[in-house]
Amino acid sequence: MFQFFFKYPMPVFSKGKFVLLGAWPGWLLLLLIVACAAGIAVIIWSRLPAAAAAHISKWRAGAIWLLQSLLIATVLVLLWQPAITVAELAPQQNVIAVVLDDSRSMAIADSGSDGKTPREAAAQKALEDGVLAGLQKKFQTRLYRLDTRVGQAAALKDIQPSAPATHLNDSLRQLANDTSDLPIGAVVLLSDGSDNSGDLALETIRALRSRRLPVHTVGFGKERLAHDVELTDVSVATRALADSRIPAAVTFHQRGYAGSKALLLVRDGDKTVGSREITFNSEGANQVETVFFSPGGAGVKNLHFLLGPLPGEENLANNSIARLLGVTDDKRRILYVEGEPRWEYKFIRRAEDDDKIVQVASMLRTTENKIYRQGISDPKELESGFPVRPEDLFRYDGIIVGSVEAGYFMPLQQELLREFVDRRGGGLLFLGGRFSLSDGGWNGSSLVDLLPTILPAGRNTFHRNPAFAELTAAGSDSPITRLMDDPAKNIDRWKRLTYLMDYQDAGTPKPGATVLAQLHSGGRTLPLLVTQNYGRGRTAVMATSGTWRWQMSQPLGDPAHDLFWQQLLRWLVLDSPGQVVVTTPAQTLMDDGQIQLTASVRDHDYLPVTDAKVTAHVIGPDGLSALVDMTPAADSPGVFRANWTAEKPGSYLAEVTASGQTENGTLPFERIDGVAENFHTEQNRELLEKLASETGGRYWKPDELARLPNEISYSDAGISVRDIKELWNMPVVFLWLLLLISTEWLLRRKWGVV
Amino acid sequence: MKLLQASSAALVGMAMCSALYAYQRTADFGFGDDAETNVKAEFYWSRLSYTSSVGSSSFGGGYGGYGGYGWGRTWSRDYPKADRQVLLALKRLTRIQGRSTEQVVDLDSDKIFDYPWVYAVQVQTWSFTDEEAKRLREYLLKGGFLMVDDFHGTADWEDFMEGMRQVFPDRPVEDLDNKDEIFHVLYDLDERIQVPGERWIQTHRTYEKDGYVPKWRAIRDDKGRIVVAICHNMHLGDAWEWADDPDYPEIFASMAFRVGLNYIVYGMTH
Repeated sequence: MFQFFFKYPMPVFSKGKFVLLGAWPGWLLLLLIVACAAGIAVIIWSRLPAAAAAHISKWRAGAIWLLQSLLIATVLVLLWQPAITVAELAPQQNVIAVVLDDSRSMAIADSGSDGKTPREAAAQKALEDGVLAGLQKKFQTRLYRLDTRVGQAAALKDIQPSAPATHLNDSLRQLANDTSDLPIGAVVLLSDGSDNSGDLALETIRALRSRRLPVHTVGFGKERLAHDVELTDVSVATRALADSRIPAAVTFHQRGYAGSKALLLVRDGDKTVGSREITFNSEGANQVETVFFSPGGAGVKNLHFLLGPLPGEENLANNSIARLLGVTDDKRRILYVEGEPRWEYKFIRRAEDDDKIVQVASMLRTTENKIYRQGISDPKELESGFPVRPEDLFRYDGIIVGSVEAGYFMPLQQELLREFVDRRGGGLLFLGGRFSLSDGGWNGSSLVDLLPTILPAGRNTFHRNPAFAELTAAGSDSPITRLMDDPAKNIDRWKRLTYLMDYQDAGTPKPGATVLAQLHSGGRTLPLLVTQNYGRGRTAVMATSGTWRWQMSQPLGDPAHDLFWQQLLRWLVLDSPGQVVVTTPAQTLMDDGQIQLTASVRDHDYLPVTDAKVTAHVIGPDGLSALVDMTPAADSPGVFRANWTAEKPGSYLAEVTASGQTENGTLPFERIDGVAENFHTEQNRELLEKLASETGGRYWKPDELARLPNEISYSDAGISVRDIKELWNMPVVFLWLLLLISTEWLLRRKWGVV
Repeated sequence: MKLLQASSAALVGMAMCSALYAYQRTADFGFGDDAETNVKAEFYWSRLSYTSSVGSSSFGGGYGGYGGYGWGRTWSRDYPKADRQVLLALKRLTRIQGRSTEQVVDLDSDKIFDYPWVYAVQVQTWSFTDEEAKRLREYLLKGGFLMVDDFHGTADWEDFMEGMRQVFPDRPVEDLDNKDEIFHVLYDLDERIQVPGERWIQTHRTYEKDGYVPKWRAIRDDKGRIVVAICHNMHLGDAWEWADDPDYPEIFASMAFRVGLNYIVYGMTH
């Protein structure tokens, strides 16, 4: 229809440039148009008094003037010979790259006129039904398959939807490079837009633009499933302590199930280690729910997070996501410094008696000159009091400072406390008490910035009055304050705890700190449990010494007190790093075996080691054993990196050793092939449209493809010629002139001035 | 005639009571009325008020009168001077913030759970209802600590154990070894002696009844922590009470204070 009126297809106008072929200058045209319009205005104006008698009002005279001016202007423009100059691919000299997605998602049967044809088959049928032949009339064509890479295919029948993943970015960049010596006029990409490597990368767009390659995308597959639940992400720690209960944030979206309920499961093999009933929110929106689970004893756990299947679900393969979790039973040690015998000390120690992982070594000032030590590993430990050497203090993973004045610590020891958190990456917990926080002079100490709150000025902040604890929103699903898995029930459970024996005003939480619990006493609401990250470590304040009452006053067997303290102290030490720490951006490799290993190597004082020889020993499936040398990172002292490729799917373990260091670091990782294509199975039209518009191409629906061979010609890629398309003889021009003349005549007739 | 017999019996009874009162005299506790009874502190010296099997509960359950003497009020023996003398030592010799006055607790309400350390005397006379025994059992299993003192000889032991078996039917009582942490938590008490009551001043005997040998015993919880510390065949309470008496030997008082402080610190650390 467009071409009928405008003589040329749409791309001529969208890609071409408007020119005037006439010899006379353009300014003269403008001048004449203005002069004619003015002349007509003068004539009409001069005759207006007489016409007024004939009931011609001013606005009617204006309408006549407008129509006549437009008519004159149109004729003048035509006299100047308007035209479009556009780049057009030279016939039979250019190659059109026809790229067909052959990933597994193209096997989904939701395309074609019946809606049940596999996407790949529908794409091939569209090509065979004239598109390919139409292209071949004007151009040479080359057929490519696209999955994780792009490769040439001899015939359509050679392309089957069996590849485990789609990497559009890598493949298109490779296509641009591989065809750099070919006169590629355009790329026709037939795909569902399901890309496993993320969004379109800027590099990909740049590569295509530098070749001036327009990518015409043809979308296949349903743009929206009627009934489906899809897990999109699981955020869970990569390390955990044995016998912990840890949270995972599961992100998912659904269509067709808003308001209904489903069970979110965490499985380790066949064993269910965690579950939670959830209610679906609105359709299409991402929903995040927290589920707690118990990974059990030490070892590498391959966890599966599952949701559904639900009745009538169209895609069951996207209901599960796997994650690796390293569970360790290595002992973690906490140094607890207490300034006076008090019940909180006793009951914290009793709570930790049940924890096989976390060990508390404590030094308690029983008298002015006596220190009573408990939980020490040898008679020499803490014999001289609080350590003064880094290697003695840094052997602990966490420190608790009880009712102890800041002045009890020498300046050297205070600085060590800072370095313990900042450099060693340990956890530091301040408890409330007679000699704690502001009452212990910590508000005037050099360590004031370690605290997660701005302490009140002055003293008398500790009060032996009852206080009730209440969770904040952040505390409702925190692994530290979890007494019940369900956040709402957890808040209620805390409200039912008996009152605390005392409390302390810890001041105002600092920006970036997290208040997990607050207390109410005498009409005041104050922060109770506040945490923050500091340097490589973390600090917290628990502004009371009266939680022991939970243990004594709750019914016998109530786990609240012990569970809370075990969780708080596990949080304190869980992320305290060893001397060698190995990390990678993602422990689960989807179809692509490339992995970057990063090792942070520190000595026993936790200073970066720069001169060590660092080696990663990778153990993998089928008895694989490889030694990988790691090279120092130029920008970060003590950091070593190596790139390696896991060729086969399976589980791997990298053990990193550094010369001169006694500790090793380990990292499990896994390569999984063929799973990524189960996700994002709806046609990603947004991505296909973006790719087309960014490269000068166009997004096509399958039923529009008949026009593709003709319209694809207008491209300045490959071998092209610039053509001039004259516009004066477009049918729409004559219709326009006719419209102007007839409208004026009809108006004059109506107004009686013919 | 009957009136004469009754009068004679009453006179004899009064004479016997007077003699016993004179024999078991009570120290002048010497604390004024300005004692800090309402001050809040970390540690409260908590004395267990229990129903005595010797008298009625209404008679023995209260603690309105001082003096620590009387039929059925055996729980208040040496009260309150012994308690306050220990608290003086506690304040002077440790960093524990203790209230300078004692706290009486009983097993009739859950209030006892706010006082995780309890001292009881004359425990051969205690008796419990099922509810009281249950409350004491829960108190000890949750983390409470009980120190018992001032009962002597075989018969007293059996009577004490009768009540104890109501609380812990199956938990064994063990003799404490010198190496036990409770004897080293504050003072090293490898060399312990029998601590006699105030009667020593008249009799120079360190034992009462057939309790010739001091027994340092305990009941533990499932984790091996002492929850009931048993001082049998000794009278630490009297030693604290009479520590300022020039006739009472310092060696006994010192031992009593050291044991008392060790037991408090142990109770606050284990």
